[in-house]
Amino acid sequence: MSIYSAAVKKPVTTVMIFVAVILFGFYSLKYLPIDMYPEVDPPYVTIMTVYAGANAEEIETNVTKTIEDGLNSVDDLEEISSVSRDNMSIVTLEFSWEIDITEAMNNVRDALDPVKDQLPDGADTPLLFRMSTSMMPVLFYAVSADESFSGLEKIMDEKLINTLNRVDGIGSVSVLGAPGRRIYVDCDPQKLEAYGLSTAQIGQVIAAENLNMPSGHIKMGNFDYQLRIEGEFRNSDIIENLVVSRVNGKTIKIKDVAVVNDKGREVEMINRFKGSDGMRLMVMKQSGANTVAVGSEVKRVIEATAGDLPADVKFHLLYDSSNDIQKSINNLSQTFMFALIFVVMVVLLFLGRWRATFIIALTIPISLIVAFIYLYVSGGSINVISLSSLSIAIGMVVDDAIVVLENIIKHIERGSSPREAAIYATKEVWLSVIATTLVVVAVFFPLTLVGGQPGVLFKQLGWIVTITVVTSTLAAVTLTPMLSAKMLRLREKVNGKTSWYDRSIIPVLDKIDELYGRVVRWSIYHKKVIIPSMLLVFIGTMVLARFVKFENMPEQDLGMMTINFECQTGTRVEKTNEVAEQVESYILSEMDDELKMTFISSGSDEDGGISAIFGASGSHVVEMRVKLVDLAERERSIWELADLIRSKMASMPEIVSYNVSTQSQGMGASNTVDVEIYGYDFQTTTTFANQIAERLKTLEGAEDISISREREKPQLQVVFDQDKLAEYGLTTASASTAVNYAIRGLTASKFREEGEEYDIVVRYNDASRTSIADIENISIQSPLTGRLIKLTEIGHVEEYWATPTIERKTRQRIVTVSAAPAKGKVLSDVAAAVTAELKVIEIPNNVSIEIGGAYKDMQENNADLGLLFLIIVMLVFVVMASQFESLAMPLIIMTSIIFSFSGVIIALLLTNTTASMVAILGAILLVGIVVKNGIVMIDFINLLRERGIELHEAVVTACKSRLRPILMTAMTTVLGMLPMALSVGEGSEMWAPMGITVIGGLLFSTIITLIIIPSVYVLMAVKGSRNKKAQVYKKFKFLDK
Amino acid sequence: MKSVFIVYNQANTERVEYMLDHLQIRGFTMWDEVKGRGSNSGEPRMGTHTWPEMNSAVMAIVEDSKVEVLLDAVKKLDNINHEVGVKAFVWDILQMV
Repeated sequence: MSIYSAAVKKPVTTVMIFVAVILFGFYSLKYLPIDMYPEVDPPYVTIMTVYAGANAEEIETNVTKTIEDGLNSVDDLEEISSVSRDNMSIVTLEFSWEIDITEAMNNVRDALDPVKDQLPDGADTPLLFRMSTSMMPVLFYAVSADESFSGLEKIMDEKLINTLNRVDGIGSVSVLGAPGRRIYVDCDPQKLEAYGLSTAQIGQVIAAENLNMPSGHIKMGNFDYQLRIEGEFRNSDIIENLVVSRVNGKTIKIKDVAVVNDKGREVEMINRFKGSDGMRLMVMKQSGANTVAVGSEVKRVIEATAGDLPADVKFHLLYDSSNDIQKSINNLSQTFMFALIFVVMVVLLFLGRWRATFIIALTIPISLIVAFIYLYVSGGSINVISLSSLSIAIGMVVDDAIVVLENIIKHIERGSSPREAAIYATKEVWLSVIATTLVVVAVFFPLTLVGGQPGVLFKQLGWIVTITVVTSTLAAVTLTPMLSAKMLRLREKVNGKTSWYDRSIIPVLDKIDELYGRVVRWSIYHKKVIIPSMLLVFIGTMVLARFVKFENMPEQDLGMMTINFECQTGTRVEKTNEVAEQVESYILSEMDDELKMTFISSGSDEDGGISAIFGASGSHVVEMRVKLVDLAERERSIWELADLIRSKMASMPEIVSYNVSTQSQGMGASNTVDVEIYGYDFQTTTTFANQIAERLKTLEGAEDISISREREKPQLQVVFDQDKLAEYGLTTASASTAVNYAIRGLTASKFREEGEEYDIVVRYNDASRTSIADIENISIQSPLTGRLIKLTEIGHVEEYWATPTIERKTRQRIVTVSAAPAKGKVLSDVAAAVTAELKVIEIPNNVSIEIGGAYKDMQENNADLGLLFLIIVMLVFVVMASQFESLAMPLIIMTSIIFSFSGVIIALLLTNTTASMVAILGAILLVGIVVKNGIVMIDFINLLRERGIELHEAVVTACKSRLRPILMTAMTTVLGMLPMALSVGEGSEMWAPMGITVIGGLLFSTIITLIIIPSVYVLMAVKGSRNKKAQVYKKFKFLDK
Repeated sequence: MKSVFIVYNQANTERVEYMLDHLQIRGFTMWDEVKGRGSNSGEPRMGTHTWPEMNSAVMAIVEDSKVEVLLDAVKKLDNINHEVGVKAFVWDILQMV
């Protein structure tokens, strides 16, 4: 028994199977995590090696090169790049996107083992890091406080962080810029000298006094007592009263030579939030956890604990990815609902039957819910990609059901019983329904094979559409006939009158059919006018194609800006912060209404060691985050505001370089054209890079020009005279220790209070640590005489320029000059301008340049997409050629693909949209949809001709009768996409181009298809070619004898 | 009116159709796959491993005048190769609705 008759004869089983599918679908939906994009771990592995004391060049030769050479042959390695800076080497390996990153880590670890022995003895063991999406914060708070600021770290630790760590799905919580507590013993060097003391001695005294010691036990009477000596400081005031020495019978206390400061740690990072001091709290989720759920849980916990904290501690939410996701998903869900309504309305308009419309509409949720099952089983999530895939599918899943249902209705109106009609009508069309589904699968299935970063986008889309369309076909040949058998009735005329639909809509549709019939009749007899004029239209649009602009990923206005700028290298953090405050006050005054909050972070936290991987840091670096109010509540876009800030910063002399980023974290993070300069010599390449940067700055359309190599940093160096050192019985080690204690400080002991430990640091006071003369005045105790010697007596201080950070890529030294597109310009504009500029510049010897960055990625992606497109076209050709058993027919249909691209180009230009990856994807989708129209038409023309109807007559009749189904599928798809193309909410920049391309392409190509396909058919068809019988009969001669 | 029942090897299908079209005989009923064997020399057509070939059958109800022409055509078809096999039988039609 065939599947459709089984379905009609066993309605209960059929319904139950679909109910089971729906139940499992709902279950999957409930447990699907919600995220912005499909989760893919970026294929990067970073190896960090610390080699204390080596400068950048030594690190490069001894550590970085060794590691690079050892790892160069790791499997699937795409690119190796490295950064060597003082004390540290960072090697980054980029793998291809398809690989399993855990396996890559193991390969790297294996390859690293033999290399470890070759590293210098002083180097630490290399550490391996893996980039992971769970490293990106999902929530980002600024915590500000006034009076309680000094104790903030402890308060947060006890009250909040522990609770947060227990929340399900949280990976880690980190606090940056916390004030911390440290006890400084600031010595006055002159007084120390007067009493013949050194910082080391003060440290010894503190360490010796701050002591608890268990001293056995003592038996007294019936008891055994533990004996302890408790010398530990109960409070920090005790320190200043410690006796350090005795001079002329007088006791010298610490307060005589130093000031004890129990205060916050010395600032190396200043965080400010709208005027008051603050710190950053970042929450990272575990990979695979539901961002939205984690976000709302964290917000709930923080709200609940806020009551227990001091009143002046305030939390300000700076970045909330769960909120962005929620907004985008809500927007898309809305779009989706509109699409559903439109599709149902179109079906109702063309069929005019409530019951039939219901049966068709039912296939939509059933096909779509299977996509959720797929997502759940494959570990996916509900995200922008999967939801927009569903929006694309929504217009397609009804097509099959419509074809089946139309035929069933035809049989019922002829008088068959609905039961029989359902079985035999389905039998007649089910093969052609499967064939059209095959075409759609031929378009979408290759998408699942795409590799690289675009693959992340396309894989889900490919699978989702393939699965939903196949499901819809299954539903169309089982559920649709079953429901038709149960629900459809022959429409009886009420009181002998026809229904309203038959009286008002049908005549209109008939009139359109008639009109179209006349157009086709005219055009097939005027091929010589139609075909050349269509060609002209096509050539015209191809000429226009030059004006279409390309970019990688559309930028989204998420209402968040990150401003990074650098002052002169070596600027003190206090000074840097002043500059930051100037910028802040400008922003506050300029965009008061649009602004929600600002957050500044200057300098770097010394505890943030790992953050060194992510880029330059230092006392001269500022990171500002500006959060704006929602898109609907402001007039200016984030790009306009960013431009304002750029021009302000350009006018400030203190700011050496700046960068304003409006991108969100995650995908498509960079949008720059990079000029990569390869060359060994620093001097040449730096000069050349500066020269290029200057040139690029004059270019219109390029902004945020930056050079990757850090500016040379002035450093001070103490050079000891070996002879003099020996004379005083000193070594470089002992002398440099003394310098270290004086400037950086000696951590003498730890002060314990309420279970927490704080460092007690002995050092020179601030006034004695500000000039080169101060350094030269540092006293060093000679072990021979015990006398204090000045540093000037045994050495001198030199000022010099430190070697910059050395960056390498593919094992060559590299400097990158990058330029981002200005407002209104796109990547392809900048790339063209930069390439033109580079042709003019003379390249020095031994230096080579290359264009890289996001532009290169874009080109690679576009090449991949081009290949993909070819494969899809070939596959579609294969399916169609075998379906029609002809090589010419697919060619006729494919002319409509060409015209769909004309439509895409016109739509892009009219709406001033750039051709981003998403738009190109939309164009690829068009192939499937457009071809489907052609198949419906050609199939019917062929059928009529095989029945012996003359060519021209067959074409006109077929076109007329197929107009409605073609209009119907085109309208469901166009209207399904319409809300997507028109949406303006958060994140709509991402998918609106897809809607625009599909609608533009489909509208244009449908109109063209309806006119040109008949003409081309008549042109290519040979009269009688479809009369197979006549061809066979020609051979038979036996009756003539 | 007479009924002409033609049983033929499936390999003759197109020729039989051509024959009917050629003689402008519109009405017929066709059985796609039938089994059988000849009384004297006709090879069995059973669709089995031993006798893999199959027959088809056509019954055309024709005017009396067409019977001779049709049988003549069948004879010509049979003459191409007797081994392939085609046979025609004629009987009277008493009533029709």
